[in-house]
Formats: sequence, structure tokens, C-alpha cells
Amino acid sequence: MSTFDASTLIYVIQIVIGGLLVGIGVHFVPVGGAPAAMAQATGVGTGTVQLATGSGLTGLISAGLMMSVTDNILLIVLSGAVGAMIMMDVTMIVGNWVYIYGVGVPPVAAKVDYDPITKDPQPPYISPGTVGHGVPTVSFVSGTIGGLMGGAGGSLIYYALMNINGVSGLSAFFAIGIFVVNAVIASYNIQGTIEGFHDPKFKRIPRAVKACFIATLIIGIFAVLIHGGA
Amino acid sequence: MDMVSMGLLAAMGALATIAGASEDLESDVGSQSNPNSQVQLAAQVGHTHRIYNKAISGEPPSNALYAALAAVVASVLMSDAYGMNAFFSIAVGALVAAIFNGILSMTSYMGRNASQARFNQYIYLDVLRSHTTTIMAHAYITAFCVVTISYIMTATWLPIQHPFPLPVIAFTWGIALGAIGSSTGDVHYGAEREFQQYPFGAGLNAANSGDIVTKAEAGLRSSIDNAWFCAKFGGPVTGLAFGLIVFLDNWRTTIFDPATQGWYAIGTGVLIVVLLNVYNRILEVRSKKRYGPYPEYVGDIKV
Repeated sequence: MSTFDASTLIYVIQIVIGGLLVGIGVHFVPVGGAPAAMAQATGVGTGTVQLATGSGLTGLISAGLMMSVTDNILLIVLSGAVGAMIMMDVTMIVGNWVYIYGVGVPPVAAKVDYDPITKDPQPPYISPGTVGHGVPTVSFVSGTIGGLMGGAGGSLIYYALMNINGVSGLSAFFAIGIFVVNAVIASYNIQGTIEGFHDPKFKRIPRAVKACFIATLIIGIFAVLIHGGA
Repeated sequence: MDMVSMGLLAAMGALATIAGASEDLESDVGSQSNPNSQVQLAAQVGHTHRIYNKAISGEPPSNALYAALAAVVASVLMSDAYGMNAFFSIAVGALVAAIFNGILSMTSYMGRNASQARFNQYIYLDVLRSHTTTIMAHAYITAFCVVTISYIMTATWLPIQHPFPLPVIAFTWGIALGAIGSSTGDVHYGAEREFQQYPFGAGLNAANSGDIVTKAEAGLRSSIDNAWFCAKFGGPVTGLAFGLIVFLDNWRTTIFDPATQGWYAIGTGVLIVVLLNVYNRILEVRSKKRYGPYPEYVGDIKV
């Protein structure tokens, strides 16, 4: 007969924090969805869930490698965060290469008149009939933060699950599942496109926090029970 | 750090570069991912075409499927029960993934074009015959490279000992690769190649949606023409992106042993991130200076 002890509670809390980090982190990732693939909207030309998951899972690979040699939670979580940031930044840089050299458009944000970080004017560089294109500085910095939070969240979930069962493959797969659930919830909240933290849609975060909290709490409890905790 | 680890890391970077390029070209020949929205729209706004039209799913899930499938087959063949050589196991695994890709591509093309019969969009059997094999060939290369990278990271007789099993790590790299291909190379296909009749240097005006180029230099444009064009820029830079990610991410933990120098590995990663942020700013400033504001712009905010 299993018992519900304090360590189980800590694992559930870690999973919930990880899920919330993922849910909030997705709001930072600048994605323009299908329009961005035609240089019609600011951001990376792919879906929110796709890019966030791609970067988060790259971080998971780094975190998994780190966890095989150490138990230090800070090292593991930061390792995942850095891996995700590298993936996100390289993707945004190469995306900008394609926009600048392949399509011939400068990176520009459409939701603000002046870039909040560099104070550069934006509207003169928006090509007619579009709502911006490419990844300007403010979106790039926002994307980096998104990568950090997504990578850290995914790694924290993996860390909690690994402490319960010690089987890396199973933990990784559950972590991927919990990651994607939160990414999808956040993606519904921003309706497919967001430019970064300067976008008005970013203010919808409290709603996502509530939804992600409930979803991750339920999944977290089941994940811990399935994995042999309690 | 030893020479073997560094050599393996270089091999992983090279394999990732090839995988990235072939993944992007596979999606360009098949017109998967986001630019597919325009191909789908084209017939509806009166432009019937001979472009291959498959949107099996977003690129990350489909590539994760192919990579995981190839890795599962490869690990079964490599297991003690069959004891096949790793190289041939991965080759057979990639073949199975390519066959799955072919089945999904064909049903996707036929289903999508059949549903557009009311817009006079035909199903071209010659397109199906010539393009499906091209798509499968690219998918084979992608799956082979991704599983080989995963194998290098997990094989017990090699220095890098990643704890994830081979199929899980191949799945993960498959998701990442699909996300990169969808984010970078596809923009070259969607924003430039599909709309080449409009002047270079502007995004697609929303009013022109669906007006894709359907005629080629001679005859009608096919998706293999599109892959020819994207192979000049979109494909290689996608390869460079995935190669850089696989290389930089593993380089940190190769030069610094994660067991004893974990903080150095993280510090190096943070430094790389800072440098990339600075580089993006340089890119932005240079591009705005080179291209200048749009002449049609009428607004109060001055440059």
C-alpha cells in the first residue's frame, strides 16, 4: 500500500512549476504562423507549439545529459535552459538570414511604432499589405527569454520524474507530453501569432497561468502516481 | 576532451547539416508546412497548378515520426535477437521511414486534390509518380542522418553516453529538426519562390494571397522546380541552422566535462546566446540601412 508523503508533494509542485514556466515561456516566443512564412507577419514563420517544443526538447537533451552525471537541480535546469536558448537563437538568426537575404525584407515589428529596446522607428520598414516581417531586436530578446523559460520548465519536469522512477526514457517521454500540453494551451491563448512581450496579446498571460496550472496539476498528480511515486 | 569526441562532434555537425538541408527540400518538393496554405488557396482563387500538395501534419510531428520509426527499426535490428551491423540497421530503418513517408504523401496529395475537384484542380498521376519518389529520397537522407546522430550520442562503445534510449533521442531531434526546417528554409519557398512574379524585397501583400506562380521558364512549374530553386539558399541555410544547433549544444559539453565542469559548459552556452543577440542586432541595423524605408510609406513616424 502506497502512502502520500512530502516528497511526492514536492515532485508534483516541481512539475506544476515546470508546466507554468512552459506556458508562460510560449508567450515570449515570437511566431507569426503561416503568414510569417510568406513574410506577411512579424516573427518566425512557424507555429507556436512547433517552435516552443523544438527548443524545449533541445534543452531536454542537454538536461538529460547533465542529469546523467549530476544531481544538482540548478545545473540540470540551467543546462536545459541554455540548450533551448541556443536552439531558439540560432533558428531566429537563420530565419532572419532568409528574410533579409532570401526575401529582401528588413526585420520589423508592426505592433509598436518604436522598438521598446532600441527605440528604432518601425512603420517605415513595413512592406505594404503586411503586418511586419522578420525577427527585430525586441522579438529576438523576447524569444531568448521564451527559450530560457521553456527549456527550464521542461528540464524541471524531467528532473522531478527522474527522481521518482529513475528511468530516463520514460521520464523524457512524459516530460515531452506535459511540455506539449502546456504549449498548446498557451498557443490557444495567443491564437497562433505573437510578436513578443511588447505585443498586446501578451497581457492575456494571467488566463494562461490559470489554465496551465489546472492542467499541469492534474497531469502532475497522475504522472507521479503512474511513475510509482506516493 | 579527447580527439575521438571532437571528431565525433564534427561528424554529428556534418550529418545535422545534411539532415537540415534534405529536410527542408523534402518539405519544399512536397509543399508541406506553412507555405502549403497558399498552394491550397491557389486553386480556390482560380490558379490551378501542378504543385505537389501534401500537408501530412506540421513538420515537427511528421519528422519526429520518421526519425522515431527509423530509430525503432534500427534498434530492433541492432538488438541481440538480430545482431545486425549498426550501419545497415540504420539504413533499413531509414528505408522503412521513407516508405511510410511515401504512403502518407500519396494519400495526402490525392485526398487534397480530389477535394478541390470543384475548383477544376486535377490529380496529375505523372506528378505523383515523379515527385513522391523525390520526396521519399529526401526523407530517407533525413531519417538516416538523424538516427546516425542519435546513435553516436547513445552507442555504448562511443564516448558520448546520453541516457535517453535511441528512439527517444531520435524523436526529440526529429521534433527540433522539423521546427527548424519550418522556421527557416520554408520562408524562402513561401515568401520568395511561390511569389516570384512580384518585385523582390517585400513580403506578400495580403491582397495577393493565393496568386502563386504556376508557369515555369518553359511549360508549367512543378514542385521539383521549386526544390531546385530552394536548394540554392533555403535548404543549405536550414542545414546550417540544424548543424549549428547540434554542434554548439554538444560542443559545450565536449570541451567541458559536464561531471566536473558543468558550470563552465553553462557559461559557454550563455556567452553563445549573448553573441547571437548582438549579431542579430548588427544584422537588423545593416539590413535597414541597406534597404531603407518603403517608398510607398505615408505616415508621421520618420526614419
